[in-house]
Amino acid sequence: MTLTHADTGAAGAGGDGPYEHGLTEDLARAALALARRFHAGGTMWCASPSWTFHAHHVAVEFVHPVIMGKRALPAVVVPPGADLVASLRATVRPGDMVVVVAGTAPSDPGGADVAEVMRRGPAWGVETVWIGAGTRPPAGAADHVLWLGTDDPLVASEQFVRIYHLLWELTHVCFEHSGLLQPDLCEEEVCITCSDEGRTAEVVAVDEGGDAVVRTAEGRERIDVSLIDPPRPGDLVLVHAGSAIASLEEGRS
Amino acid sequence: MRFVDEYRDPAAARRAVEEIGIVSGGEHRKFMEVCGGHTHTIYKHGIENVLPENVELVHGPGCPVCVIPMGRVDDAINLAEQPGVIFTSFGDMMRVPGSTSNLLEAKARGADVRMVYSPLDALRIAQANPDRQVVFFAIGFETTAPSTAITLLKAKEAGVTNFSVFCNHVTIVPPIKAILESPDLRLDGFIGPGHVSTVIGNRPYRFLPAQYGKPLVTAGFEPLDILQAILMLVRQLRDGRCEVENQYTRAVRDEGNVRALQILGQVFELRPHFEWRGLGFISHSGLKLSEAFADWDAELRFQVPGVRVADPKACQCGEVLKGVIKPWECKVFGTACTPETPIGTCMVSSEGACAAYYNYGRFTREAAASARIPVRSA
Repeated sequence: MTLTHADTGAAGAGGDGPYEHGLTEDLARAALALARRFHAGGTMWCASPSWTFHAHHVAVEFVHPVIMGKRALPAVVVPPGADLVASLRATVRPGDMVVVVAGTAPSDPGGADVAEVMRRGPAWGVETVWIGAGTRPPAGAADHVLWLGTDDPLVASEQFVRIYHLLWELTHVCFEHSGLLQPDLCEEEVCITCSDEGRTAEVVAVDEGGDAVVRTAEGRERIDVSLIDPPRPGDLVLVHAGSAIASLEEGRS
Repeated sequence: MRFVDEYRDPAAARRAVEEIGIVSGGEHRKFMEVCGGHTHTIYKHGIENVLPENVELVHGPGCPVCVIPMGRVDDAINLAEQPGVIFTSFGDMMRVPGSTSNLLEAKARGADVRMVYSPLDALRIAQANPDRQVVFFAIGFETTAPSTAITLLKAKEAGVTNFSVFCNHVTIVPPIKAILESPDLRLDGFIGPGHVSTVIGNRPYRFLPAQYGKPLVTAGFEPLDILQAILMLVRQLRDGRCEVENQYTRAVRDEGNVRALQILGQVFELRPHFEWRGLGFISHSGLKLSEAFADWDAELRFQVPGVRVADPKACQCGEVLKGVIKPWECKVFGTACTPETPIGTCMVSSEGACAAYYNYGRFTREAAASARIPVRSA
């Protein structure tokens, strides 16, 4: 199965079809990111609040390869009906992947939970892939937004299958080129303390003394939270030099 | 080389780049990113190479390591080498050259120099070593100063008397003014620092449109954030507007972090003037400990030489920090001055324009200049 440039509008036509402009490159990029994470021992967590069969379908593609000789890759479905944020918070580890098939709220009732998961991706250290259709989520909502322009749920549902089949197939193409799987040489250390850096962290527990234990992509840390309003477990904060300098929850409902 | 399809949500980034090209209409625009974190992101992700040719970015003085004058580094080494002192510092300061050596070399000579992640770690070291004097080398803008302030409040509350702070905190607004008054630079607008602004808010930048007629957009640190900020700037210019806008709404409030500002006011006061590398003395641009915290001020507790040292003649960090020249236009860039053997501070910190350019951009500049790297899928 192949998506041509004409299918995706990547050749510049803009496209009358359901595919978003440039989807070809985005699919390839997402597949490379997944291959690198699998290669490093990550697990893929699959969810789809409104189309549970898609979540099962994505997972089974990766776990049970249809092509002889391809390796089985660890993929797990978040149980249908489960609290998506709470389930993933309890199970994901830094280095894992979260792939979700969903629209955005309010047209997809599960879209709000999906957006919350994607927002927490940097704090959990997971790579996020959001496959969906209809109204696009805000820019930067996930690491990879693979989006269809159609509002027709039947067309969308059919095309989702095509997208995640390609995602699976391209991931295995990456495995055939071991050089692609090497860590990025440009990922050198940055000055995390003295620069204007702020890391996203999720509050795990708050002490009475103004300290909190937070979860970051690098693991758990104890930080000072006396510069911000007392956070609650689950809140996202920005951490700089051992202190929370801003809450990312203000203004959110 | 990084391409736009490696950004978080590359489809959104592609749209932003295309729209910047359309909205700017081919007119030459020159924007300064004030923050070293932005400089790092711009080089790391090759943002300059995906922007239209008519949009130019110049790199400002927002790396706190890069603006520390050599004499202050000498003072730090002097403190570190005093008997019984444990000298604590953020990692990036360790290799910053003083006039004769750096902190790492002082450590090699026997000084007890320790790298910390947070000033609170330095306080913990002091509590664990009551018979030693522990000094924290405080540097950074308003993002970092609150952590130092909290640490001092905790030190005072716990009565930790063997802890002190060598304060080199600086503020962001005075150097922006100094740059605007530099006669050799013409800018169309500013990309405002994201995390400094979580503390100070957007209000302190209002003088820019009011007094200098320059727009500013506060931006986050994802490549997509910076592209969106540039788009907001070119839209303002197209529409004839000149405002302070906020792209980083997920973290920055107009009023900033009120609690942090109150604590800063309690612990610090403005120095009459402070020396910036390459920019000279700038009024009211540095912080020192207030009277109430004088007992924890390392400059009062110890004899600090305080000798002013001129920058090396060959080094053009000053022009780089003001955005007058690009890093590669410096006479010693990549030859005498490299990240391994830096002459100027811009080459030391990974947020410094020279080091960021040396690490990410030097191999592709010529290629990018001769044939702009196309945004894929255009």
